[in-house]
Amino acid sequence: MIRRFRAWGRIVLARLDGWFNSLYTWRYNPLYHSGALVVGCFVILLFTGLYLLLFYRIGSPYESVGNITAQWWGGRWIRGLHRYISDMAIVATVVHAARMFVQGRTWGPRALAWMSGVVLLGVFFLCGWTGYVMVWDVHGQVLATEGARIMDALPIFAGPIRRTFVGEEALPQAFFFLNLFAHILIPVGIALVLWIHVSRLARTYLMPPKPLFWTMTGLFTLVAIVWPIGMAPKADLLRLPTEVPFDIAYGFWLPFTQQMGPGWVWLAVIAAVASALLVPALMKPKAEKAPAPSWVNPRFCTGCEQCYHDCPYEAIDMIRRDDGREGFVGFVNPDKCVSCGICSGSCAPMGVGPPERTGRDQMVEVKAFMEEASLGGDDIVIIGCFHGAAGEGIREVAGAKVYQISCVGSLHTSVIEYFIRAGVGGVMIASCPPRDCWNREGVTWLEERVYNQREAELKDRVDRRRLRIVYAAEAELSVLEREVASFRSQMSALDRALSEQNIEIDVACVVPEVSVGEEIGA
Amino acid sequence: MSAARVFGAGLAIAMTFAVAWLSRAPTDFAGDGDALIRLSWRVDGVTVEACETLSEEELAKRPIHMRNPQACIGTIAPFELVATLGGQTIVHDTIWPGGIRGDRPIYVFRDIPVIPGRSVLSVRFEAVVPEGTEVDSAVSRLTWEGEIELAPDDVALLTMDDHGAFVLRTPGPAASD
Repeated sequence: MIRRFRAWGRIVLARLDGWFNSLYTWRYNPLYHSGALVVGCFVILLFTGLYLLLFYRIGSPYESVGNITAQWWGGRWIRGLHRYISDMAIVATVVHAARMFVQGRTWGPRALAWMSGVVLLGVFFLCGWTGYVMVWDVHGQVLATEGARIMDALPIFAGPIRRTFVGEEALPQAFFFLNLFAHILIPVGIALVLWIHVSRLARTYLMPPKPLFWTMTGLFTLVAIVWPIGMAPKADLLRLPTEVPFDIAYGFWLPFTQQMGPGWVWLAVIAAVASALLVPALMKPKAEKAPAPSWVNPRFCTGCEQCYHDCPYEAIDMIRRDDGREGFVGFVNPDKCVSCGICSGSCAPMGVGPPERTGRDQMVEVKAFMEEASLGGDDIVIIGCFHGAAGEGIREVAGAKVYQISCVGSLHTSVIEYFIRAGVGGVMIASCPPRDCWNREGVTWLEERVYNQREAELKDRVDRRRLRIVYAAEAELSVLEREVASFRSQMSALDRALSEQNIEIDVACVVPEVSVGEEIGA
Repeated sequence: MSAARVFGAGLAIAMTFAVAWLSRAPTDFAGDGDALIRLSWRVDGVTVEACETLSEEELAKRPIHMRNPQACIGTIAPFELVATLGGQTIVHDTIWPGGIRGDRPIYVFRDIPVIPGRSVLSVRFEAVVPEGTEVDSAVSRLTWEGEIELAPDDVALLTMDDHGAFVLRTPGPAASD
């Protein structure tokens, strides 16, 4: 059932992605940047929080927040921004988690990121809880008393915590001091867990693109000005709170828990957290279906370090050779490798990659594809990544045959060269948008190899006019069809492509005793 | 500017307002207009000692400095809590001492929703001790009775002062004792 739910979610997400791309372009599609938006929110919360801290008084919490709110020139909108952005942080976190879940990016080496993400969400909730209690209005009162009721179910306290909130006398300053201390300390914990969250990623991008970040900041500032947060009635422990301005993002659980005994609440919390933490185990495919990690063939490895630099997950190390040759050899750590195959595209001598997806395997495949498809000088071939518009199951788009590859980042440039030298009219590489690359940097490295001479580069002799890289998300088939039509029109202005026979692909740094020709059966 | 861009800008503003609305959705937590009687206090409790007279043989097995003929184990007695409102029993419970070994003070905390109005509240808090056990009645039996008037959503708190006497606190004028 969980897999069916995931498949359904993926369809919904793909449609939403396509729709948002049409409105905001893939560069600024907020769904693609959900994780970075959370960090952006965190930064805004830090700055606005520092300002609010200047005016907050633990001796008169409600009154001091009231004074802040009365500052029409500053505190009023900064408090509103702080609160609205804290809700945005939760929304973006949930979107990010849902995205990772439906895309199946939760298990194996990614399990650490998933589980630390669950912890991050919990810490965010805790931070929000202390923030609302700080104000000590009726909403803070409800959160505090309900939290105390639930905590009292734990057999670790000498007396009921609820007695703190009986209304016998004013709450002591120490309570608000501890609360403030927690509200300031928890963000340090958030930063620490965030560090763990991204610890397995190379070249992490934490902040969203500046236009997106400033648009988000500007919009929420605008809303904070035109729709400011007012002051709810002051907490009064001798009155039951009735109409409470209630934050759904942080207090959605209140209407449920108020109907439940604290023991049941704990059971529900434990069940929810355990389910979330079990996702990596539940989503992990069976061993025979799980994609195998990359491996390095030491015979072909020249120790150039390119795979080590290109791996988006820092799964490749360079270790000293033990086969009598000088220098270093690549070593793939299978515990970190997600089998993205980007190393296949980074290795000029085709000596690394997941089994059956190395550059050598691709050359064998492309030869077979050409023989079967019998493409000519007027034809366009689309090299489509699994997760883009020419993804799994798509065989042809607007009359152009589709040759599929798990990720365009794993595409060896020799495959492009082979197609063009074999006489195909044009090669269109249909990738998912860079910010949605399931392997983080696939299309980035492909472009570098094609246009900027990054190692394992596309040779200068290949006519770039017969090549186009297109970004089209899963639901953007129409975008791809338009691009094919446009590319075909561009091709018509060129001379008919000539087909070479017995194509020899030069491979740099090949060890003398083995030629690529032998390996791929050329 | 294309229609898609205008729509996109409008959607972004709408989504921002939607997120802001999450922060301020008015919700009625009480709803049914009940009032609340809150019973909350702490007592050290009444220690009940169960003593056993040791025989000569048992004493002989012990080191000289531990040959007390009486071996006593003290436990804190549970309390029976009974509260009535207008003659109707609203609480009847046994309150046990805190801690796994039952040797910690006794904490009482009860929130009892009641129908608002004027009524007589009567509370009895009495140690449950074996018959014949001598205990100080000033700490083993505590009672309070008085008239209270509660408006909807009011909380009446019955607690104890520093001298161990019951005291009632209400949001409005204090009820007569």
